[in-house]
Amino acid sequence: MAQFRGKKLDLGCFVNIMNIRDHTKRKVFEQHEPERQALRYIIRNTSLPQRTRAQAQLELSQMHCYTRPTQIRNRCVMGAKGRGVFRDFRMARFQFRLNALAGNIPGVKKASW
Amino acid sequence: MAVPRSRVVDLMKVQCGIFGSIFNPTGERLGNKVLRQRLRGPALAAYYPRRVATFKDLQKLYPGFETYNDFEEDRLEHILIAKSRGKGAPKKKKTAAESKKFNTKKRK
Repeated sequence: MAQFRGKKLDLGCFVNIMNIRDHTKRKVFEQHEPERQALRYIIRNTSLPQRTRAQAQLELSQMHCYTRPTQIRNRCVMGAKGRGVFRDFRMARFQFRLNALAGNIPGVKKASW
Repeated sequence: MAVPRSRVVDLMKVQCGIFGSIFNPTGERLGNKVLRQRLRGPALAAYYPRRVATFKDLQKLYPGFETYNDFEEDRLEHILIAKSRGKGAPKKKKTAAESKKFNTKKRK
């Protein structure tokens, strides 16, 4: 959804469309998170009238899918891979191996025993 | 020694006033757990590293300033060597007639 994308690319890592898309989703979610939480509060509050809650439910379900946190996926910073990504290093397993062997990741050492 | 329920409720009320929590003795679902949650947007949005100033930006900022870009010089040198060996990229065609695409013999 190009309407959410920034006019200028502000990524400093490996760039391809999947990375850009995920980055856009993250920013859109950040923008809309308070609104989503407010709607969620209304929906969960049983002391409010049923009509208000139903309206909030409808409104929340009709928000754009980019505002949803479940759309966000951790992708590899070095190669935009979506699977086998270490959360701590933000890298897929092969990139992690390459960078670790090259000594680019502080505190990581190949074990041998 | 049993404490009457009203006393306990009073205590809860005072407690809630002091600690700024919601007084809800009947345990109704008021959705306050949503309000208590922290916002995770900023943490999520900071996942990818942001763009920092590059060599090109520096050159653009100071046009007259003499700079030395190691990688760029390496690349140009490599191209020069390849060209001297006759292994360089072909020249850009100026006209459509020059282009090989339209000059190939047609099969009959």
